[in-house]
Amino acid sequence: MPEGGTPRTGLSRLSRYLPGQRREVTVLLALGVLMAAAPVAALLIVRDAIDKGMGHKEPTRLAVDVGIYLGVSAIAWLLQTTLVRGLAKVGQNVVLGLRQDLFDHLTTLSLRYFSEQKAGWIIARLTSDADALSDVLSQGLTTLVVNTLTILAAVVGLFIIDWRLALSALVILPPTLIIARKFQVSSHAAFLRVRETIAIMTAQIAESVSGMAVIQAFNRERAFLDEFDKANDANRRSNTHAQWLNSLFFPGIEVLSAVSMVSVLWIGGRLITHGSLTIGSVVSGVFVLNLIFQPLQELSDIYGQVQSAGAAMEKISSVLDTEAEIHNQPKAERLDIEGDLEFDQVTFSYGRDPVLHAISLHVPVGGCLALVGESGGGKSTSAKLVGRFYDPDSGAVRVDGHDLRTLELRGYRRQLGVVLQDPFLFSGTIASNIRFAQPNATDEQVEDVAKAVGIDRIARRFDDGLAHPVREGGAGLSAGERQLISIARALLADPRILILDEATSNIDRPTEILIERALDRLLRGRTSIIIAHRLATVRRANEICVVEHGHITQRGTFDSLLAVDGPFRSLAKDLEGQAQEMGLLPQSPPVIGSRESRSASVASSEPE
Amino acid sequence: MSGRPFLSVDPADLGFAPTAKGLAGLWRRERQLVAAGLVCAFAYSAISLAIPLVVQHAIDDSIAPAAGHHHNALWPYLLIVLVLALIRFPINFTRRYATSRTGIRVEARMRELLYQAYLRYPRAFYDAHATGQVVSRATNDLYPIRYFIGWGMTQGLQSLMMICGIAIVLFIVNVKLAAIALIAMPAVAILTYNFGRKVMPISRHVQQLKADVTEAADESVVGIEMVQAFGREDDVQGRFGEKAGFVRDGVVRQARVEATFLPGMIFLPTVSIAAVVYFGGHDVIHDHLTTGQFYLFYQLLLQLVWPLEALGWILSLAQRATASASRSFAWLRGIETIPEPESPRAVPDGPLSVQFENVHFAYSSGSEVLSGVELEVAPGEVIAVCGPTGAGKTSLLNLLPRFYDPTDGRVLLGGVDVRDLGIADLRSAVAIVTQRPILFSIPLRENLMAARPDAPWDEVLAACEAAGVAHFAEDLPDGYDTLIGERGVNLSGGQRQRVALARALIGGARVIVLDDPMSAVDTQTERHLVLNLRPALAGRTVLLATQRLSTVQVADRAVVLSDGEIVESGTPAELLASGALFGALFGEEVSAVA
Repeated sequence: MPEGGTPRTGLSRLSRYLPGQRREVTVLLALGVLMAAAPVAALLIVRDAIDKGMGHKEPTRLAVDVGIYLGVSAIAWLLQTTLVRGLAKVGQNVVLGLRQDLFDHLTTLSLRYFSEQKAGWIIARLTSDADALSDVLSQGLTTLVVNTLTILAAVVGLFIIDWRLALSALVILPPTLIIARKFQVSSHAAFLRVRETIAIMTAQIAESVSGMAVIQAFNRERAFLDEFDKANDANRRSNTHAQWLNSLFFPGIEVLSAVSMVSVLWIGGRLITHGSLTIGSVVSGVFVLNLIFQPLQELSDIYGQVQSAGAAMEKISSVLDTEAEIHNQPKAERLDIEGDLEFDQVTFSYGRDPVLHAISLHVPVGGCLALVGESGGGKSTSAKLVGRFYDPDSGAVRVDGHDLRTLELRGYRRQLGVVLQDPFLFSGTIASNIRFAQPNATDEQVEDVAKAVGIDRIARRFDDGLAHPVREGGAGLSAGERQLISIARALLADPRILILDEATSNIDRPTEILIERALDRLLRGRTSIIIAHRLATVRRANEICVVEHGHITQRGTFDSLLAVDGPFRSLAKDLEGQAQEMGLLPQSPPVIGSRESRSASVASSEPE
Repeated sequence: MSGRPFLSVDPADLGFAPTAKGLAGLWRRERQLVAAGLVCAFAYSAISLAIPLVVQHAIDDSIAPAAGHHHNALWPYLLIVLVLALIRFPINFTRRYATSRTGIRVEARMRELLYQAYLRYPRAFYDAHATGQVVSRATNDLYPIRYFIGWGMTQGLQSLMMICGIAIVLFIVNVKLAAIALIAMPAVAILTYNFGRKVMPISRHVQQLKADVTEAADESVVGIEMVQAFGREDDVQGRFGEKAGFVRDGVVRQARVEATFLPGMIFLPTVSIAAVVYFGGHDVIHDHLTTGQFYLFYQLLLQLVWPLEALGWILSLAQRATASASRSFAWLRGIETIPEPESPRAVPDGPLSVQFENVHFAYSSGSEVLSGVELEVAPGEVIAVCGPTGAGKTSLLNLLPRFYDPTDGRVLLGGVDVRDLGIADLRSAVAIVTQRPILFSIPLRENLMAARPDAPWDEVLAACEAAGVAHFAEDLPDGYDTLIGERGVNLSGGQRQRVALARALIGGARVIVLDDPMSAVDTQTERHLVLNLRPALAGRTVLLATQRLSTVQVADRAVVLSDGEIVESGTPAELLASGALFGALFGEEVSAVA
C-alpha cells in the first residue's frame, strides 16, 4: 500500500476542512467498500456458473447466475458514478477551503514577511502546491480509495474461493511489494527530478521571453540558446530516465502476475486431481488475480502524486503557521479619523540597527509635511509607520491622539492614500486601477479624477481611452504614466491622510503642477506627507523636515530653511552648484513663479 | 522607401493538412525508434494472445479434460507460459521505452524550434502576446503532441493488431459466440472517444482557470503593499476566492463527465461477458464448448477492453495534438521577423552620427506616435530628449536598435540607413538601457558582462564606478559573484538601473541609448552619477531620455519632443532662457534653488 509514514503529518491538517462533509465522507467510504466488493462478488458468481450451471448442466442456474451477475455489475456502475462525483466534490471543497485560508492568511502578514520571502516562493504555495493537492484529491483520491479497497477485496475473495489457492497466489506478494516499494522510491526521485528540470526550463524560457528586448539588443541570442539547450537537454534526460524506470516496472509486474497465475494453475490442477477443488474455483481464481495486479499498477502510478502532495502540504503549513506580526488588538477601535498625526519619540529598526532614532513630529489636520534628505535616511520608513506596515520599537505613532496599535487596522488604512515611487498596477483597465480603492465609484468620478491629474491626455492615445487594458504589473505604460494612475487611485480613495513617497519623481514638472493643483482642490483640509527630491515639489509644504541617518536635523518652512545655513541649504546648493557648473543657470534668474505664472506655463505646454 | 509598415505577428492557426504533414515530419525524424517500438508492439500482441491460448489447452488437456479425454501432464504448459512471460518482459520494456523516448525527443525538438524562433521574433510579437502565453506554447502546449506522437501512434497500431488478433482467435474457436460477444465491444471505443471529446475542453478550461488563480495570487502578492495600504484585503480575498471557486466548479464538472462515462466504459464489457457466460455456458452444457475455451473467451474479452479504450483516447488525443500543433506551426511559419538586408553594409568606423529623417511611427494598434521627427546627433554628442509624459520619447529611442522600424522616414547610423546594416552589427554598435531595467537570474558579474563576456575586469570596475554599481556591489553577500533575481538577491529598482547602465557602458558600443536611466535612482546617487557619467561616455554618441533636470545636465544639447515632433532644440541653458516648453518642464526646478 502506498501510504508511507511521510505524507500523513502534513495531510492530516486537511481534515480541518472536512467538517460539514463528515457524513458525506462516511457514506462515500461505505460506497467504496461496496464498489470494491462488487467485481469480486461477480467472480464468485462466475465460479458458481461454471461449477453448478455448466458442470452440473443446469441451464436455469446459469440464467439465474447471469442475471445476478448483471445486477451486481449495474450496482457497481451506479456506485462508481456516485463515488467519482462525490469524492471530487469533497476533495475540491477541501482544496478551496485551504486555498482561501492560505490566501486570506497571506494578506494579513506584514510587509516584513513579504520582503524577507521571495514573491515566487509565496505564489508557488498558492498555486502549484495547492494544485498538487487538488490533483491528488480529485483524481488521485478515487484511484487511491477504490484500488486499495479492490486489492483487499480481491485477497479476501481469493480466500473465500479457496485458502490454499489464495496462499499459492500470494507467494509472489512479498517480492511484488518489495519491487513496488523500490520502484516507488526511485520513481519518486526520478519524477521529482523531472519536475525540477521542467521548472528550471520553464523559468529559463519565461526569463528569456520577458527579457527578450535586452537579449536582442545585446546580441545575446547565441548564449541564451546555449543556456536553453542545456535546460531542454536536462529535461529530456530526466524524462528519459523516469520513463526507463517506468518501462522496467510495469513489464516486471506483468511477469510476476504470470508467475502468480502459473502457481494458481499448478496448485489448482493438483487439488482438482485430488478432488478437493472445482474447476470453477481455479478459473475464477485466475480472474481474481487481475483484480490485484491491475490496481497495484495504478497505485504505483499515483504514489508519486501522493508524496508530492504531502511535501506541498508541509510547505503550505509553514505559511499558515506564520503569525501575522501586525494585527488588531482584542479591543481595537474603529475610528473615523480627522488626520492629526503625531510621531512621539519613535524608534524603529528593521534588523539590529535602528533606522529611526526617537523621532518626534506633528502634523495638524490639513497640514502638509515634506520629508527631504538623502536616501536611506529613514523618510520612507517613517511613511510606512504612518500606514502601520510596521510598529515602532519604542515610542508611538498617534492619529487624533490614538496610538495606531489601538485602532482597527483595515478600517484605519482605508482612510489613507498611498502613492509609491514604483507603483503597482493590477491587471484590468486604467479605469479599474483608478477604482481600486473605491470599487463603487461612478464613471464620472473616475473621469474627473483622471482629468485632474492629466491621465485623460494619456488615455486619448488609446482607442479605448480609460478602458485601455493594463497588463501584468502595468507593462506597456511608462513609469510616469503608472505614477499618474496611482495618484488618481489615491485621490479617488478620498483619504484623510495622503502619503506621496517620491510619487512624482517620474512625472514632468508641468504635469506635477497640474497634480498639485488637483491635490490642493481635492485634499483641502486633509493631511499629507510628501517625500520628494525636487525642491519645487516641497515648496508647498507647511513644514519641511530634513531627515538624515534616522534623525531630523532641520525643520521649518521652505523660505526659513533656505535662509539659514544648514543641511537644507546645502542640499539646494548642491543642485545649484551643479547647475552652474553645467552652465545651466541663466544669467539673471527668473522671478520665482507665483501660482498664476506657473499655471500660465502649464497652459502653454498643454497640447490642444 | 518604406515597405509594409506592420509585421505579421499574430497568424491564423494552420489548417489540418499542413499540420498533419508537419506532425508526420516530426514522426519520421524518429523512424528508428518508431520502428523498434512497432516491432516490439507486434511481438507483444502475439505473446499476449499466445499465453491465454496455452492456458486454455492446459485446462482442457490437463486440469479439467472432458470426460474420456487423455489427461496430459500440466507442467509443460505452465513452463511454456513462464517462458513466454519471460520473453515478453524485454519486449514490453523495449516497446514502452522506445515509444516514450520518441515522444520525449519530439517534445524537446519542438521546444527547441520554438525557442530559436522566439529569439528572432520582433518586439511587435511580444507586444501582441502575453508572456504566459508565449511560455506555455513552448511548455504545456507541447504535451499533447508528445503523447500523441510518442504514445498514441504506436499504441494505436498496437491496439488494432490486438483487436484483430483477438477477433480472429475467437472466431476460429466459436463463430456464433464470438459474434455475440464482440457485438457490443466497438461501443467501448465510441464511448471513450466521446468521453475524450467531452472532457478535454473542460480540462483545458480548468487549466485556464488555474492560470487565472495564479494571476490573482501573483498580483496580490506582488502588490500586497497597495492592497494593505488601502485596506482592500476583502476585495482581493473575494476575487481570489471567486477564481479558486471557479477551479473547484470546473474540476467537479469534469468529474461529473467522468462519472457519466467511465463506469459505462467498464459496464459495457461486463454485458459482453455476461453474454459469454450465458451463451457460452449453454454451449459448455451441450458440449459445443470446452471449459478452457470458455476461459479463453472470458480472458480475451478482458484483454480487449484496453485496446478499444486506447483507440478512443488516441482519437481525442489526436484532436488535441493537431489543435496544439496547428498553433505552434502557425507561429513557426507565419511570424515575420524584422527584415535583414540581403547584402548588409558595414557600420562605418569611428564615432557615429545618428539622424532621424522625417520619422513617422505608429504601433499597429493606435494612432501615430511620431509624426515627422527630424533630429541630427553629431558623433560624440550627448543629446537629451525631453518632453512631457507620453510624448513618444521611448518610441523614438526604440527605433535606433530596430526594435521597431519607422512607418515612414529613415533612421541613419553613421550616415547609413539602419535597415541596410546587419542587425547583429547594428546592435553591437548601439547599446540600449531600457526604462524598466531587465537583469537575468545569473551572477552580477555575468549580468554586467552580458554584452561583452571577454571585457577586461578593470574596465568592468571602471564602468561600475561610473554607474554607481561599485557603491553597493561590495555590500552584496558575494560581491560581484552574487546571484541576482528570484533565487538570489533582489536588487532595488535604482540598483537594477545602475547595473543596466554599467552593462551598457561595458559593452563598448559607440552609440548608447539611455531611456530614463535614473528614474528609480535616488537624488543623491543621481548627483554622484551625473558627475561621473560624463567622462565615462566620452567619445560615444549618446541619446538620453529623461524627466529630470539633473540628468539633462549630462547632455551637450537637449531637444523637446511634444506630440510626436521635435519642437525645441538647443543647449540646456539656451532652452531654459528661451524654450517655452523646456522652461515649463524644468525652469522652476532651477529657479527654486537660485
